Amino acid sequence: MTRHLAQRIAQALLVLLAAFTVAFVLLQALPGDAVLIKFLGSEMGLTADQIAELRVAYGADAPIWEQYLHTLGNFLRGDFGYSIRSGVPVSQLLTENLPSTLRLSLLALAAACAVAVLLALLSQVEGFGWVRAVARSMPSFFVAVPVFWLGIMLIQVFSFQLGLVSVIAPEPWEELILPVFTLAVPISAPLAQVLIRNIDAVFGEPFVAVARAKGARHQWVLWRHVVRNAMPPTLTMAGVLFGELLGGAVVTETVFGLGGLGGMTQQAVANQDVAVLQAIVVLSATAFVTISLAVDLVMPLLDPRLSRAVSAV
Amino acid sequence: MSGAALPLRAARALRLPPLGLVLAWAMVALVMAWAIAPGLFAWQSPLQGISGSQLAEPSAQHWLGTDGLGRDMYARVVYGARESLLGAFLAVTVGLTLGTLLGLIAGARGGLVDAAVMRLVDTLLAIPSLLLSLSVIILLGFGSINAAIAVGFVSVAHFARLSRTEVLRVRRAEYVEAAFGSGGRFLAVLWRHVLPNALTSVLALAALQFGSAILALATLGFLGYGAPPPTPEWGLLIAEGRDFLASAWWLTCAPGVVVVLVVLSAERISRSLGARRT
Amino acid sequence: MSTTRRSLLAAPALLPALALSREASAQAAPVRGGTLIYLEQQTYTNLYPPAGGFYPNSGVLNQITDKLTYQNPRTLDIEPWIAESWTVNATATEYVFKLRPGVTFSDGTPVDAAAVAKNYDVFGLGDRTLRHPVSEVITNYERSEVVDPLTVRFLFKAPSPGFLQGTSVIGGGLVSLRTLALPFDQLGDATKIIGSGPFTVARQVLGRELVLNARPDYAWGPKNHPHQGRALLDSIRIIVTGEDSVRIGGLLAGQAHVIRQIQAYDEERVKSRGFQIFAPSTRGVNNSIAFRPDNPLVADIRVRRALLHATNAAEVVSTLFSANYPQATSVIASTAQGYVNLSGMLAFDPALSARLLDEAGWTLGASGVRAKDGQELVLTAYESPPQPRNKDTLQLVSQQWARVGVKLNVLAGDLGSRTVDSLDPAKTPVAPAMVGRADPDVIRSNYYPTTRNVLLQKGGVSQRVQNFRDDDLNALLEAIASETDPAKRLSLTGDVQRYILDKAYVIPLFEEPQVFAAAPRVRGFGFEAVGRPSFYGTWLAAR
Repeated sequence: MTRHLAQRIAQALLVLLAAFTVAFVLLQALPGDAVLIKFLGSEMGLTADQIAELRVAYGADAPIWEQYLHTLGNFLRGDFGYSIRSGVPVSQLLTENLPSTLRLSLLALAAACAVAVLLALLSQVEGFGWVRAVARSMPSFFVAVPVFWLGIMLIQVFSFQLGLVSVIAPEPWEELILPVFTLAVPISAPLAQVLIRNIDAVFGEPFVAVARAKGARHQWVLWRHVVRNAMPPTLTMAGVLFGELLGGAVVTETVFGLGGLGGMTQQAVANQDVAVLQAIVVLSATAFVTISLAVDLVMPLLDPRLSRAVSAV
Repeated sequence: MSGAALPLRAARALRLPPLGLVLAWAMVALVMAWAIAPGLFAWQSPLQGISGSQLAEPSAQHWLGTDGLGRDMYARVVYGARESLLGAFLAVTVGLTLGTLLGLIAGARGGLVDAAVMRLVDTLLAIPSLLLSLSVIILLGFGSINAAIAVGFVSVAHFARLSRTEVLRVRRAEYVEAAFGSGGRFLAVLWRHVLPNALTSVLALAALQFGSAILALATLGFLGYGAPPPTPEWGLLIAEGRDFLASAWWLTCAPGVVVVLVVLSAERISRSLGARRT
Repeated sequence: MSTTRRSLLAAPALLPALALSREASAQAAPVRGGTLIYLEQQTYTNLYPPAGGFYPNSGVLNQITDKLTYQNPRTLDIEPWIAESWTVNATATEYVFKLRPGVTFSDGTPVDAAAVAKNYDVFGLGDRTLRHPVSEVITNYERSEVVDPLTVRFLFKAPSPGFLQGTSVIGGGLVSLRTLALPFDQLGDATKIIGSGPFTVARQVLGRELVLNARPDYAWGPKNHPHQGRALLDSIRIIVTGEDSVRIGGLLAGQAHVIRQIQAYDEERVKSRGFQIFAPSTRGVNNSIAFRPDNPLVADIRVRRALLHATNAAEVVSTLFSANYPQATSVIASTAQGYVNLSGMLAFDPALSARLLDEAGWTLGASGVRAKDGQELVLTAYESPPQPRNKDTLQLVSQQWARVGVKLNVLAGDLGSRTVDSLDPAKTPVAPAMVGRADPDVIRSNYYPTTRNVLLQKGGVSQRVQNFRDDDLNALLEAIASETDPAKRLSLTGDVQRYILDKAYVIPLFEEPQVFAAAPRVRGFGFEAVGRPSFYGTWLAAR
């Protein structure tokens, strides 16, 4: 077990380094760079000499491998460098923007889980056939709506037409209502699908049939056996989905004009603010490997059957 | 009570003609037809606007109104099918080919190769997908094809993971072990036995990814990384139309509804493919 | 020379919409207090004052910094502000400013001769170690001298007649020595910009929001400004809202008071709901399409002329814009100094265009695109997102050119590719361009090789230019920069306009305004001379 753990951690670190390297190479290969964008695009009429001087000062023309080692070394020491675009240390940008994105993502994930469980339960409702049908088709519908479009529509309807919430200068409590909903919709869809599929599968298993034969009521069976057994794979899924939240946050934060990592990412891509992007990649890669690691290690504890299955794979 | 009713109901549901599936195929067939012969469905130019008739409301002449340059929106949606479907198709092809190849190699070879390939896949998953596709687009340059490649590149990891799992599952099946046992060459066995068996679920994923690719392309268009104008690409139509939301809401809603319907259909077809497997 | 230079041009009323605004009829006394919510389209990038050409930067700088002089937005006269009076020598190589006593930066340090001298040394010469670039509005700057604590003298290597107006622009905003001691990089952080203006930076969320608070002890507004004393508003929340539909929806739903950049198609709706539209002119070089004659495709003057006459600017304006975007009648706006009406040279004439192209050897092929020696006449331009509806504008021009057999590809590139490719005439033979500044010098800074270099002449920042250089043009431009007689300076400006259109270097499309919309209760919303907002005298009427 300890050996397995050490191996997994080593693999995780390897993936981190690889993500850092891939990102670095990719970003270096882009046409133009932040210094050019900032000073050539800024309409300040700088001369070629001045630009050349600035490039030297920013180290923009150093050999690639030198920049790579330099950046890697700084990252290992916890120094993420400066955002060339805004002139603020990247660490400051992160501390300013991370909390709001984290809050948005966690709330959206929680909302998505709630919606998924609700749909899964509705999909098993006895009697009302149409409720089951609707609950089962909702996830497909959710996944088919472009997130940015949903966000813009929600703003138009709920804020501007109905005046229920403010989106321009909202109170803290109302700030996140529409964004969380926007972000939760596409995330809830795959969760609900997995949950529904698993519940259907568990209903077919012998031990459920036994419980039923013993005269257990439908609701009780559903709660006691089915949901419990369907939960672990859903949790795995939720772990993977967390990574997709950042992409969702880029769009959601852009539409709602929220501060956060998403908006920061978009700005940084547009301006090729390499230091910022590098930090974002490392941050989200760390989140990804940590979550995968946790899911890998915790899952067998939650579900004894899975530990056998995992060791078999 | 319910214990007996449930399987019965399921069985009945299976025997009924799956109306949703029929509609899904019909929708896909329609947009395919748009893509292949747009001229049969729309009579006006999707690229040339008529000055003076910009931002017209939907009417008999312009079914979905006109955009800011006076171009017929219905024609743009119809002609846009080609760009969008081709883009999504290309994206899925890139993801499917590269991903399945990686997954096959990893699953079939095992050992160090497997570990190396899977760490590569992890790396791709670890980098935020939107960031990855934006960088690929900037690198390759703007355009429908490049955007499609960028979107496809991001889905490589998903295809690789799935096909590897499938390969492992199929490999353990007795007949495949038997084929290896009876001295079949690695590639031949892979081709004859493993690939066809792993393919159904991969195809189901492909259908699903087709829908996601359309959405991903739309999102890129929204963020300003879509095809250059005046290309009538669906995502771009939604994205451009949103600026007119206050005065002409149909400009963003019409292509939006088409995209939702097509993605829904792809998802429905994917489910039917996946269902056949089990 | 007189202390104030009167513009020869009687500028028309600044704001056509202002007359319609309720301000005219409102008799109520201004109300003090309240928070105004202002929606910006983009976030500010750097608040080093000379970087104030960028709209979002200037929107912030204009509230937090004061200038030596004030250019009256109605008359374009230069009037006293931080400088109470000034003298200029006959050759415009020496300027002496007498400063108003008692002015302080918000960090408590005085706005005295030493501070002003240091500001202009940095703006005029740049700072290599701190990477501060030179301001584009200051030419031939040599050095400053502190005569006494309230008198400062500026000396120039050669005549610099545009300098006086240059002291009134946002790029000449005065900041504390503490701010100037920071490297250029760090000036993207608004909290580090310490000015002496009516507002100070209270807090910021980078890329999202900036809160400005009124400075209670502010008592040094421009001498002739209708409002005096501290600002009326308590604070301003500048919120970055990139989505057009959210900005306009937020305004109409009562969630915001003022928004920048509303599109022409929304103007009617806004007005019909009783909201106000402001469209101050930027008084500079018109929104145009510029050629890069270094590219062989457009090196031939006949090709450029053909494209000029193939462009229907009237159609562009009527299809995409509104009455607030007057069709261009010269290189610069009709409200700009030195403007000459040259609409006769800009006629839309497809027949002439076709003839010119035929003469130049570009013949129509079966594909509908003209070709010469096997090469098709296909041009490429990047869209410029900060300009209003630029993507649609270029697409419409592309349709117009297609009718004479010329193909224009419109690219929507990322900023990196756009920046690099825009410097390469081989990749971008045409490019959209505009710039605003209420001084004849604007035309020089737009076309001169070492400044904005819109035509991409050799000798500018681009290393990709092979050999295009127009020394006749540059001589004219240099003359504008150094001509000290105002009348001659304006007539030179006319010569340049004629020359540029004669050579068909640019295709002017329309006079670009900055369009703002405001809630009915917003009063006293003003603008500096080139359409940047000023909230100094703004107040919110009771609902």
